[in-house]
Amino acid sequence: MSGSHHPNYHRIYYTLLVLLLVSVAGPFLGIKWVTLITAFGIAVWKATLVVQNFMHLKWEQRLMKIMLAGTVTLLLLFFFGVAPDVMKHTGRNWRNDAALAATARGIESHGGAEGGEGAEGTGGAEGTEGTGHGAASGFDARAAFMTNCAPCHGQTGGGDGLAAASLNPRPADFSDPAFWRSRTDEQLLRAIREGGAAVGRSPSMPAWGGMFDTTQTRELLEFIRAFRRS
Amino acid sequence: MATAAALESHAHDAHQHHEPRGILKYLWSTDHKVIAMQYLFTGMFMGLIGGLMAYVFRMQIAFPGLPVPGYGVVSPGEYNALITNHGSIMIFWVAMPVLIAAFGNFLIPLMIGADDMVFPRINRLSYQIFFLSAVVILASLFVSGGGFGGAWTAYPPLSAQEQYNHTPLGSTLWLIAVALEFVAFLLGGINFIVTLMNGRAPGMKAYDIPLVCWMIVIASILFMLSVGPLIAGAGMLLFDQTLGTGFYDPTRGGDPILWQHLFWFFGHPEVYVVLLPAIGIVIEIVATFSRKKVFGYKVMLYTAVATGVLSFFVWAHHQFVAGIDPRMANVFMVTTLLISVPIAELVFVIIATLYGGSIRFTTPMLWALAFVAEFLIGGVTGIFLGATGSDIYLHDTYFVLAHFHYTFFPIAIIGTFAAFTYWFPKMFGRMMDERLGKIHFWGTIIPFNFIFIPLFITGVGGDHRRIYNYENFPDLAHLHWLRVVATVALLVMLLFQIPFFWNLVRSLRSGAKAGKNPWKANTLEWTAESPPPHGNWPADQMPKVYRGPYEYGHKDRDEDYWPQNVPA
Amino acid sequence: MRPLANTRSATGIPTGRLAIWWVLASEVVIFGGLIASYIMHRLGHPEWANAAAVTNVWIGAFNTLVLLSSSFTAVLAHKAADQGDGAKAARFLLYTVCGAATFLGVKTYEWWSEISHGYTITSNGFWSFYYTAAGLHALHVLAGAVIMAVVAADARKGKELHRVELIGIYWHFVDIVWIFLFPLLYIAK
Repeated sequence: MSGSHHPNYHRIYYTLLVLLLVSVAGPFLGIKWVTLITAFGIAVWKATLVVQNFMHLKWEQRLMKIMLAGTVTLLLLFFFGVAPDVMKHTGRNWRNDAALAATARGIESHGGAEGGEGAEGTGGAEGTEGTGHGAASGFDARAAFMTNCAPCHGQTGGGDGLAAASLNPRPADFSDPAFWRSRTDEQLLRAIREGGAAVGRSPSMPAWGGMFDTTQTRELLEFIRAFRRS
Repeated sequence: MATAAALESHAHDAHQHHEPRGILKYLWSTDHKVIAMQYLFTGMFMGLIGGLMAYVFRMQIAFPGLPVPGYGVVSPGEYNALITNHGSIMIFWVAMPVLIAAFGNFLIPLMIGADDMVFPRINRLSYQIFFLSAVVILASLFVSGGGFGGAWTAYPPLSAQEQYNHTPLGSTLWLIAVALEFVAFLLGGINFIVTLMNGRAPGMKAYDIPLVCWMIVIASILFMLSVGPLIAGAGMLLFDQTLGTGFYDPTRGGDPILWQHLFWFFGHPEVYVVLLPAIGIVIEIVATFSRKKVFGYKVMLYTAVATGVLSFFVWAHHQFVAGIDPRMANVFMVTTLLISVPIAELVFVIIATLYGGSIRFTTPMLWALAFVAEFLIGGVTGIFLGATGSDIYLHDTYFVLAHFHYTFFPIAIIGTFAAFTYWFPKMFGRMMDERLGKIHFWGTIIPFNFIFIPLFITGVGGDHRRIYNYENFPDLAHLHWLRVVATVALLVMLLFQIPFFWNLVRSLRSGAKAGKNPWKANTLEWTAESPPPHGNWPADQMPKVYRGPYEYGHKDRDEDYWPQNVPA
Repeated sequence: MRPLANTRSATGIPTGRLAIWWVLASEVVIFGGLIASYIMHRLGHPEWANAAAVTNVWIGAFNTLVLLSSSFTAVLAHKAADQGDGAKAARFLLYTVCGAATFLGVKTYEWWSEISHGYTITSNGFWSFYYTAAGLHALHVLAGAVIMAVVAADARKGKELHRVELIGIYWHFVDIVWIFLFPLLYIAK
């Protein structure tokens, strides 16, 4: 029986309380790494104290320790085997557009790192956050984009619309920061209104000036700017 | 020691007063043998249902659009429900209950010299939950909208959203049935593990335990450890289905690939969960009917453990073309190809045990030998699927289907018939008819090959899985005759199950009375009465163990076998 | 009703305790799977920080305090049972049950408050995981409390004292799950 081993339970309990206090106090220092270490490091420490002393694993047969260590190892295996697919949203030759859009939408609607006025949410699902402002003129930039631009540029502006596979060069990828760094707003407005050839790019990009006036073109530009990854 | 024996005897007598009689026995009994029978017959009944489902959908494939005799015209939705539930039922309601729950329950206490499992009431509870799960899965076929048709793998968004699957009730009931089955087997598994670890007869050391008991317990541990993440995932899927959460919806922050990983993290060890008990059954039979010691007891034991451990490292080979990171695919290819080594080792031990033995071709032995031959084909064809290059072509074709039927059929069907014909005398006190047994055997094995070899060919030829009507693929019309051959072979095989049921009924009623040990085997169950009474042995005659389970063929003894409980 | 197989112990560990460890092993992988899935998503969706900011760290800390204390009383119950004092063990077990009830009461208030502010299980990914993980944990708290009450009733009569240790081990596990959920859902936002 493990019964003969009874450590000082009171002392363990008070240690646990102190650790709890430290973990709650951690975030107040405001340093992210300190918070993480105090929160999770202390969690591990508390758990160890409980397992070893309250559950008496310290005095249990080795078989049980091996078995429990095995379960933890399995969980680590599960995490590291699955995380590359689920945790990351881009990889070698693939990209999870929906997740990237959801992430961008979420960051957008709370303190908007990017996007000027009129920036709206992206993607097809109804966003619970980030409704964005409608244009004063009643022009729906989002709808216009989806109808006219998304077939080539993709619903999330990634240059991967349905028609993209047959185009060479591929349509521009609005999520790529490099794209935005390499063009001025004037160049982009001109490309939209006058077509790709007019700015020395692919003639596959049509001229839309007949459909959108300058204000609407500007609103479209602001709309696609929101696709940019930070 | 005398006190211990008295203690054992006293507890035993107290135990004996509580056994219910009559019909109530099947509601309230906690006797492991009764519970084993319940699992066995429920499992076999579900096997019939699964087999009949196969009949219906194979008829649809071979003769598309024509009404199937006994069923009628098969709609596409019904087709999907049939193939989905065929797979789910065969794995969760046939293979696992029969190989693990039924034979584990029956054999483990008897083979370790115990009077029952250590937690008889939890044992009963586990069967009741299992029974409930069987009711739920069958009910799911009859609800409005029909049964779930998203394949046994249930990938979201198809499985999560009614707008895709059109079977909102069926999908949810299917999921609940599977979850209940998991709970039943978690409870049962703990019983097996603890009973084997702690409840052994005096003198039975770890290496004196019969291999089938080890295999069932290792399988239970594998199951328990792998099913956890999937239970979490199933809960998440249930919420997606019923509450509208977005755990697997990428537009809402979820990821359908997560389900795939959760599923296959369990799904791959699961196949070894059913394989190991089948191999355990086969090795018991092979040792007895070769009159020879198992070639490498420790090799077999440690290889089985190694297979189990390695089985946790191969799961993503089911996802090679699903969009996982190609670098991970490389890792999983290596581990997958590696795991064929310990499994091959297990087969080699069986063959080496046969070599030089004095072979008796009884019906159980025929089944055991057929297991080896057919499983070998299944294993070898797995290599093509484990290699990412060839898998790109073969994934989701009938080649995969034929591969896993060449592994699952030996496990679930051949393994079941091997065990059933071998332990029938002990379970029911009668012998089965050998001639009917052999007719049933050949009538099952030969058609089996005529079902699935054509399907290897159609698979390589381009037939994809889960297709309702191949007439929509005119380029594959030249393969149709093979599909018809496969279907006709299935019909023949189903017909040849009649001799088995006839044999079963006749033997139960008027088969030759079996003594305690008709096969002259060594393990402890053959020292009890046939069938054993409640408590297995009289309280003062609980066996003690003096040697290992496979002491056959000792030259210096009169008999060619040496039971474990006979003093030296 | 107990079979004699139950009185044997080839491993040296009493059968009941061996069984509880295996139960815990299966629970570790269930909760572990759920938590691992949460962590993967949380790390991949930094914007969930906005939702996570809503959870109240003081309520979470109070509940942590309650569970830690209930683990303390549970182990004191075990010590009493070990010394053969069933009545004392039962008393400490009942303190633990009170802790469970407090935990569940606080959680009810907390969830009611969050839900009435519009944060439901379908609000977004963070909330889905929050309610699922904490909900699964709460179910285990409830089940544990019920079983503990039954064990306490037996213990007061001096019966089945070994079960005090067993339900205690289960209870400490429930505590440990919360020890990890607390930083995940309340601190490390």
